[in-house]
Amino acid sequence: MNTIAMRGRAAIGSIVRDHLTYVIFGVVTLFFAVAAPNFATFGTAEAILRVTALVSIMAVGMSFVIICAEIDLSVGSLASWSSMLVAMALERGVPALAAPFVVVAAGALVGLVNGLLVTKLRIPSFLVTLGMLSVLSGLALTVTGTMPVPIVDDNYSDALWNARLFGLPVPILWTAAIVVAGYYLLHLSVFGRRVFAVGGGVTAARFSGVKTDQVKIWAFVLSGMTASLAGLMLAARSTAGNPSLGKGLELDVIAAVIIGGTSLFGGAGSILGSLVGAIFIGILGFGLLVMGLSTSIQEIIKGAIIILAVALNRR
Amino acid sequence: MTGIAASATPLVRMADIRKRFGENHVLRGVSFDVRAGEVHALLGENGAGKSTLMKVLMGVHEADSGRIELDGQDIAGRSVRELLAQGIAMIFQELSLLPNLTVGQNLLLGREPRLAGWRIDARALRRDAQALIDRHGFDLRADAPVRELGFAQRQMVEVLKAVSRGARVLIMDEPTSSLSLREETQLFAIIEGLQARGMGLVYISHRMAEVFRVADRISIVKDGLLIGPLDSASTTPRELAQLMSKSTAGELAGKRAPAADARQRAEPVLRVRGLRTARKLAGLDFEVGPGEVVGVAGLVGAGRSTLAKALFGLLPDAAGAVEVDGRPVRAGDVPAAIAAGIGFVPEDRRHEGLMPGLSLADNLALPGYASRHGAGIASRGRADALFARYRDMLHIACRRGAQPASELSGGNQQKVVFGKWLATAPRLLILDEPTNGVDVNAKAEMRAAIRAVAAQGVGVLLISSELDELTAAADRVLLMVDGRISRSLTEVGAESELRALLQADMAARQGGIEQTSASAPRLEAA
Repeated sequence: MNTIAMRGRAAIGSIVRDHLTYVIFGVVTLFFAVAAPNFATFGTAEAILRVTALVSIMAVGMSFVIICAEIDLSVGSLASWSSMLVAMALERGVPALAAPFVVVAAGALVGLVNGLLVTKLRIPSFLVTLGMLSVLSGLALTVTGTMPVPIVDDNYSDALWNARLFGLPVPILWTAAIVVAGYYLLHLSVFGRRVFAVGGGVTAARFSGVKTDQVKIWAFVLSGMTASLAGLMLAARSTAGNPSLGKGLELDVIAAVIIGGTSLFGGAGSILGSLVGAIFIGILGFGLLVMGLSTSIQEIIKGAIIILAVALNRR
Repeated sequence: MTGIAASATPLVRMADIRKRFGENHVLRGVSFDVRAGEVHALLGENGAGKSTLMKVLMGVHEADSGRIELDGQDIAGRSVRELLAQGIAMIFQELSLLPNLTVGQNLLLGREPRLAGWRIDARALRRDAQALIDRHGFDLRADAPVRELGFAQRQMVEVLKAVSRGARVLIMDEPTSSLSLREETQLFAIIEGLQARGMGLVYISHRMAEVFRVADRISIVKDGLLIGPLDSASTTPRELAQLMSKSTAGELAGKRAPAADARQRAEPVLRVRGLRTARKLAGLDFEVGPGEVVGVAGLVGAGRSTLAKALFGLLPDAAGAVEVDGRPVRAGDVPAAIAAGIGFVPEDRRHEGLMPGLSLADNLALPGYASRHGAGIASRGRADALFARYRDMLHIACRRGAQPASELSGGNQQKVVFGKWLATAPRLLILDEPTNGVDVNAKAEMRAAIRAVAAQGVGVLLISSELDELTAAADRVLLMVDGRISRSLTEVGAESELRALLQADMAARQGGIEQTSASAPRLEAA
């Protein structure tokens, strides 16, 4: 027992040094497991992963953008807009198999526009995507005069949110699929090396033959695609397209990526880190909820812990 | 430059200084002094301990043991601020001026003349600053924004700032590293002026030629010990180089392979016809043969770096014909230039050459990643193996391939940039100031590496401000003046000869401009 404790202490020491965020993640989870009633159950874990799916998926796309030393603030309103788009498409009789692809393509197009504005007109991405945030949320509100559009097709909602497959809810499976794809692209593929090169030194990358504009545009396209996929899932969850569903999500997404160890200055980061960051935010919200704290207090505590996590994670 | 005013009693004396960081004994009993009115040059490889020695003198580090005296008074253990007040100042390689302020505001920063209520008296500030500038006879305007000054003028401001704070000992760290030939001459005049006023100067530099030009005495820091001081009049560059490094074989050997005739008969690797850009280049024609090292000499601003960037496809407005191995290369397209077999070691290592936060292996493998299909797998193992190969070939001193590039010394970083292009199996290698800011040993190694590459049939275009480097390494030298090649020297003589030719061509070019402008009104009159 004693030796195990000692060995454990040594192991913990090295983990603390290398992955502070993960330690905080563990501590917070442990705290809720002890303090919150019925927290440490399989059901809770499943519920949290399900709730976190949206932020996780968007964080995968956002990781590419932030590692390129850019930012995408438009993801939340792009998700809202995508939920509206898919609901209206289904309402107008577009087959449930085709509509999602159209919407994701539209999301890619938004990313393309973001990327072109950032690279060709050299407008800072903060401003471009802040503008895009406003444009898309306005668009989502205008198309129906702020009215939600119901989705009656159960197949659609099942495929993206309600069904279970291999004993797991589909949102978790979607998350897993996107994380695997993102991991391949960022950490195993040649494209991923270019993304790190652009963030690590855009001039040096250009001087080595990397088409840096193209890499950045692709990063924005990936972010647009994951955001619109999240929008599709939002619509499936509430069986409606709603112009305010994704509001404010961009902040959770960016926080998740940064908590996960990705540098806002670019050149460093990981997909798994972003996933952990997203789950961390989910656990925090869920834990505070089951402890019976009001949503306003929750927000305060959540914000403080996010700042703390990022502060400790800085190298 | 002989120190007429130099007196025998030292202004500053450091005796038996020892300093250790952990297990690393950086200074192992160093004695060093500066006399009033002399320039004492300090040489040494990167990491030999010369900057630590100067930081001890500045009070940044405290010595473990030893004495530091200023005018015979013990000043060891005083803070930087106290020492500044005592008259010891340093001018760093990266200047510490605020570019958004004017010359006057920078000069009097923190001691601006005041009006009532903490307001700064802008008029008095300008007047006082201008008086200060005029008193020292510098060609500066107090209300000029520092942003608009050239590097040499910024250096003047920096010197003036130190002098006006009562500096008597001035440490200059590689002051000429960013200066053009003409600016260098200006700087040397300033140094002479400071000497005449009885100041003591410590002059840190890697450039042998200018050390001999400027210094009265020369000391070398090596492995934490001081060699010297030597009287600059009674020693030679070769003697110094031998003292500094274990061997200078790399530099002395490897000079000029034979078979120059065969090379000229062979099809050129690079053929350039009428290369021009909108602003800098005025139509260049030249060739580089296989295995030939072609040097490019010229002042900063003559268009040397523009030439390099135009060849490498970095300038969209470049026009003219560029052929590699007889095949035309599309202008303004870096990937096309790389595919054609051009490699480019740029001047600004930290921005253009390397991604400092990323690993050495990633840095070295980057051109490969740039040219391959994006969806393919980037094998870590293969990148590590590639790095290991070039680490051994170029003797890159590092711990492992996963180490961030920022942790390496300048010379080793440069080897990584060099290796990155060797890994692409280039036909033509463009090197822009490849030995800028690297120590003597690394310079010698770099030159040997250039030779080794050329011996494999790669054409090399070597741009350098150090004329002795060109005379030592190049088979042929192109002189560039004002965006043109003024002449091509197949027989590369001594450094002084090259300098004289360059100055003659510059004068001819300027004379030409004056003539044409003078003739214009006459034409109108006719």
